[in-house]
Amino acid sequence: MIQAFIHAPRYHVLVEIALVIWILRLLFFTKSYRSERTVLTEKEKEDLIEDWQPEPLAPPLSESDAALLNVNERIVDRHIWEFCSKIGKHVTVNGHECLNLASMNFLAMNEDPLIEEDAVASLRKYGVGSCGPRGFYGTVDVHLFLEEALQKFMGCEEAIIYSYGFSTVASAIPAYSKRGDILYADESVHFAIQKGIQASRSRVRYFKHNDMDDLERLLQEQEREDQRNPKKAKVTRKFILVEGLSMKHGDLCPLPKLVELKNKYRVRVFMDESLSFGTIGKTGKGVTEFYNIDVTEIDLITGSLEYALGSVGGFCVGKSYVVDHQRLSGLGYCFSASNPPMLSQAAITALQILQDKPEKLERLQENSKWMHRQLAQIDGLKVSGEAISPIIYVQLSDATGQTGVDRALLQRIVSECEIQGIALTCPAFLDDEELFVPPPSIRVAVNCDLTKEEIDEAIRIIQNVVRDVLSTRDAFAQ
Amino acid sequence: MNVGVVPNGPNPNATYFNSKGMWLTYVMVVAFIHYIILSLPWLTVAWAWTVTNIIHNAVMYLILHLSKGTPFETADQGQSRFRTVWEQLDYGVQYSPTKKFLTVVPIVLFFLASFYTQSAALHFGINTVSLLTVILPKLPMFHGVRIFGINKY
Repeated sequence: MIQAFIHAPRYHVLVEIALVIWILRLLFFTKSYRSERTVLTEKEKEDLIEDWQPEPLAPPLSESDAALLNVNERIVDRHIWEFCSKIGKHVTVNGHECLNLASMNFLAMNEDPLIEEDAVASLRKYGVGSCGPRGFYGTVDVHLFLEEALQKFMGCEEAIIYSYGFSTVASAIPAYSKRGDILYADESVHFAIQKGIQASRSRVRYFKHNDMDDLERLLQEQEREDQRNPKKAKVTRKFILVEGLSMKHGDLCPLPKLVELKNKYRVRVFMDESLSFGTIGKTGKGVTEFYNIDVTEIDLITGSLEYALGSVGGFCVGKSYVVDHQRLSGLGYCFSASNPPMLSQAAITALQILQDKPEKLERLQENSKWMHRQLAQIDGLKVSGEAISPIIYVQLSDATGQTGVDRALLQRIVSECEIQGIALTCPAFLDDEELFVPPPSIRVAVNCDLTKEEIDEAIRIIQNVVRDVLSTRDAFAQ
Repeated sequence: MNVGVVPNGPNPNATYFNSKGMWLTYVMVVAFIHYIILSLPWLTVAWAWTVTNIIHNAVMYLILHLSKGTPFETADQGQSRFRTVWEQLDYGVQYSPTKKFLTVVPIVLFFLASFYTQSAALHFGINTVSLLTVILPKLPMFHGVRIFGINKY
């Protein structure tokens, strides 16, 4: 061996010596470390501890935390709800018997005796909880029945249910969209979608609310970028996130144009139908039915069982290939206890009622249109959104533009109405966390059991209250 | 509810090289392949060593430095999708025992090949180039670096 070493050419010897030194250094003179870790000296640690100011365990209350701020003090501007009855078409708030225009109980499923009966029967049979996530002994037959019922109702290949409406869309988005992917989202998507976007770690580009030209502009920009770097484009997934019926504005998304763009630019579409499921379309299948668009054009539809169906939970429907992916990577599905069987049973019964009594839906849509038209005629109020929408946002027509002032005024209208027997509500937002806070407004939710007389009476009361409140404001201004 | 929180699930790609008997198995597989090549009658001993070296380094490059991502669901929202298996090893810790082992093996193979080829220039050239392809990407300074955009996406 030494012989061979002596006869070897000089370059070879040099390389071998270098390698031997490398090995020796590697084995005896290196320490393992993590690339991104920073090492602090004792002095730096002391400084950091010195600098640290502990935050209070409970942050100081702000104006918006009215309920906490003045629990014992009844001030009209700081509104406190105290319910003394079941929440149905009528509700007793703070001792006032009110007609309920605040709860999103569109199809009056909250107080349906048949649903209650079925849920109680289910409670006697299965107990309260399901005792585990779906994958770990938490699947009960009613979950499978509910999935089947939803899948058949929506006309899709497969459905998956979640135990909480909020976590449905917040889990579905990060299950598909990962780091490096692109999300095109409507800027006024609701809070759960925003949380889903955040959890996905993807790049997100917001387009103006329901503005398809703006969306197309973004898609074209991306297309140009893709042409420059086709290799990257090949591994980047792109999704459009929209709401069927906007929870912040009460208008429908322009689906025909959206589907056209989706096919043109080859992007996937996720649509959240939390509000539109059970309220829009001829049989309540949502926005796709309203526009007569094949439901398979939408890659994933998420919905909530908490509004029209009056239960708790959420669901996704789509192709099996797409939906099945969530059974192992939807975080809310894998790591949350499954829906209590009685709530799933309530949803099954509610879905059956929706199919058996189409007149409920017809009445709801009629009421929505009527309410919309009547509200629009009130002086001093401005109504936005689609006429068919069961939630209607009412703004002041001559708003000051100062959020605090407008909110206080609207809150006074709400409180006054409550005393006179109409329960209304102002939508609440986490101002610091919400992406886009819509202008202050009152939200009117329509119920299918309302009669025309009741609506007219409610409108009359609201009209009087608005007139009184606005006149005091004007007097104050002068 | 577990929304907005990423549970730190284990990535099997990072740890399987640390399992018991893995290093021994590795050496035995290389030896086995070498004996098969050595038993081919038309190859001289020198070429058998060079071919062993090339095959070992090519496979190592393919498995550790070219393939990215992990077939397991790691709940890191696709972070390992952009990392080679080498970068995932031991969750990115440099100079860990496994990484030292994997660096030393190709160098030892190079020494053996040099010895059995008696430092012939052609063999030396082939072996050195093939050694560099697996040694350079292992350097800590090339962690996460893609020269000329090779293997970037």
